[in-house]
Amino acid sequence: MEVVVILIIIGIIGYLIYQSLPSAKFKQAQAHFNAKNFFEAINVLNGIFEKHNDAPAKFAECKLILGQGLKTNSEKLKAFNEILELRKRINNTSAIAKYENIEAKALFEIAKIQYKDSKADIDKLNQNLKFIDSANKNGLETDFNSLRTRHYYQLSESYFKKAIEIEKSKKYPDAILDYKKAIECSEKSNNSTIKHNAVARISICRLKLNESIDLQENSEVQKADKEYQKDLFYRYSVYLLKKGDFKQAENIISTHLKFKSADIEKLRDVIKAEKVKIALNQITQINQSIEQLYDNSLSIEELCTFYNSLDSIISSLKIVDLELSEKVLAIKPTLFNRLLTNYISIEQYGNAIDLIQKFPKFWDSPELLKNLGICCYGYTSKGLLTEKNYKIVLSGWLTAVYSDNVIIKSLEDTSWDDNYTFSLAESIGSKYSQHEEVPGNINYDVISESNISIGATQRELLQQFETIIHKEIKDHQLSILVNDFYDEEKEALEKVVNILATDTLFPTPHFAISNGLNNEIIKELDSDYEEYSNEEALEAGVPYIKNSTSSKVYQYFFANDIIDRIKSAIESENSATIKKLNTNENKGWINKFENLSTKVEDSLFNTIANKISEDDENEALIAVMEECIAFSINNEKLKHQYSNYVASYCISQVNEETIDNYKALSLMKGAYLRSPNNPRICKNFITLIRFNLMDILNDRTRKESDISKILDWAKRNMSETFKENSSELSNARKEILGQLKASGVDISLFEDNNLASILSGHSLNSQGLKMKKILTYLRDLGSIQETANPLDRLRQLRQQLNLDDDLPF
Amino acid sequence: MKNPYTILGVSQDVERAEIMKAQMLAMKDKKYSLQEIQIAAKQLLDPAKRLAADFMFPAKIKARRIQIIQSNLVYQDINVNELNENAFDSII
Repeated sequence: MEVVVILIIIGIIGYLIYQSLPSAKFKQAQAHFNAKNFFEAINVLNGIFEKHNDAPAKFAECKLILGQGLKTNSEKLKAFNEILELRKRINNTSAIAKYENIEAKALFEIAKIQYKDSKADIDKLNQNLKFIDSANKNGLETDFNSLRTRHYYQLSESYFKKAIEIEKSKKYPDAILDYKKAIECSEKSNNSTIKHNAVARISICRLKLNESIDLQENSEVQKADKEYQKDLFYRYSVYLLKKGDFKQAENIISTHLKFKSADIEKLRDVIKAEKVKIALNQITQINQSIEQLYDNSLSIEELCTFYNSLDSIISSLKIVDLELSEKVLAIKPTLFNRLLTNYISIEQYGNAIDLIQKFPKFWDSPELLKNLGICCYGYTSKGLLTEKNYKIVLSGWLTAVYSDNVIIKSLEDTSWDDNYTFSLAESIGSKYSQHEEVPGNINYDVISESNISIGATQRELLQQFETIIHKEIKDHQLSILVNDFYDEEKEALEKVVNILATDTLFPTPHFAISNGLNNEIIKELDSDYEEYSNEEALEAGVPYIKNSTSSKVYQYFFANDIIDRIKSAIESENSATIKKLNTNENKGWINKFENLSTKVEDSLFNTIANKISEDDENEALIAVMEECIAFSINNEKLKHQYSNYVASYCISQVNEETIDNYKALSLMKGAYLRSPNNPRICKNFITLIRFNLMDILNDRTRKESDISKILDWAKRNMSETFKENSSELSNARKEILGQLKASGVDISLFEDNNLASILSGHSLNSQGLKMKKILTYLRDLGSIQETANPLDRLRQLRQQLNLDDDLPF
Repeated sequence: MKNPYTILGVSQDVERAEIMKAQMLAMKDKKYSLQEIQIAAKQLLDPAKRLAADFMFPAKIKARRIQIIQSNLVYQDINVNELNENAFDSII
């Protein structure tokens, strides 16, 4: 009994000791916390504050929850500040780390309350921002950032309102400073409305200060409040007008002040008055220049400047007074003529060419085209051609001389020719009687002493010009460029003239492309092709292509280009390129044009022939030729060319022992495949078959199975020509059998017929089996075909074995 | 190539007979070589070649004599300093 009592007492004492331990106390506190008895929890935790690592944090958490439940902000602030005070009581590093999480929450609660209490006051907001910046934010970084952004948002609005008030009191520099602060805060809080408005107001303040502004790249302003925009653009227009920048002011008004208002109308009146003033000055200056022109006191440079200034004057006058602009426009042709005549008379042909080429549609005027021809001739004869200008000059000359109308027109200027008539029969500028209207002294009749050939005149002009470019260009490189280009242009032009029967200007390709006339020529050539299926028309159009990809001419060019690319691949021995070009689409392009698809055959054949003439033992060419045949599959000429080339190559290489018999056989297989009825190919193929069989028989090759594959293929693909020429193989077989027989070998063993071996009672070793295989190939590929009748075959066998003809059965 | 009319010193409308005379005169003058004079004469006596020589005379383009331009425009001076800058003041 006593023992029991003692044990109970010990138990009670033990329990009491356990209950008084910090961990047990913390468990109690946690139980109170879980039951939301925060005051009891605080009491327990207070007792173990320094003894348990988790106690300070749990204590602070209880305080935080109680603080959040308080009614007024001042009570809350007091409670949260008490939490901050707890830090002083903690001396354990591990306990501090746990406490800091709750401390951060308390700080965040304080910052929130202070933000609400600031009531948009700039100083208080800035103060709280400093508080936030210095606060411990453990685990609450995102919340703090969001709170900071709300501060900046509020600050941007507060600064903007403040700036407005300052601006109202006309302290513009101070207002600008606060608008800038508003912009800074708006950028940190994405308050775009404040940003756009503040930017606009800064510009307005600057204008109020009579300072210049730059709105060129300021897209912010255009997103500002509409009233601010109106104010700003109006003030800016007034500012520009005062500065004399009427053009920019007009631009701003037409873009940003598109509403009706008497004040805006006043701005427009100012601009209009300025334009009238300018127009009157321009007219005065023009009149002065006109007087100088007829006084002959205007130099050619001044005349040129005067003429060149007219276009911009005309366009500005159009807005002020249309009638006046037309009056100025009317003086242009006279000035143009005066300037051109002056340039030609003092032999400034380069300036004259430039002047003519700037005249709209100058090619429609035979007079201008003739003058262009004269200038191009003069420019060339003075030795002024360079690599930069020769194309313009040569194409201008050719276009002028090839124009029948230019020559016809020049007949009007003289009287010596009144007793003559002139014939276009041999003209170089037209092939048909195509000119719709010709003067009375022009005809298409036969040339005679009184009916002068216009063609002869044109040829005389060309001959004179060609003498210059052939003989008088000192720079050799330039001479080549000039003469080649001249020939190309002339040839292209002649092709077009020979095809088209229309009364139109025939420009050279360069002239046409430079002046936008090429598509018209291509259109005419397309029509000619559509009507007459004349592919020459398309070929003639190719040099005129620039960007008319939908035309027939372009399609023809594209198809031709495919052939050219194949030809160039043949020249560079690039079989891979030919393979890539071998597509149905590409073939489709070529097949669209009958002559072109026919031309492919000869074109590829001739290109290959040229390559062969350079080197007739070039193995790389074999693959190139194979790809060409694959591209032009029904091309018998190419196949014939290929097979003969391969045969010649194999013969020479085998004779020189530079390739082995197997390689020659595999190459010849390709030749035979493409020309199975060519006796030369068949004979050479058959000889190579024999060589390869002998190589197997005499153990001179390791390619026995590869050779067999080719021979098996040959057995399945024997042409009539092959059969007619294969006696070489059957003779070889006979010869071998004869030798075997002479050596006393039982040749019945080499027959397929088992009966023969049974009769002879012998069997074959490996060498014998090889011999049998060779003999079988020679028999199968040889020309003497054995009869299918078993009795006949047995009779033959008996003869070979020297047995009696009399059969026992 | 030099202009045959210039070499022979004749106008563009010269008659055939006058070309022969001009050739003789040019030979006397010796301003140009005998070969140049002969080529020039040959060129002007051959109508097709003469037409080629004529080609080198610039075409005359018809153009009217320019008259002084009259204008009815009247300039009205407006004082820009009288414009109301605050017509659209946005913070009143």
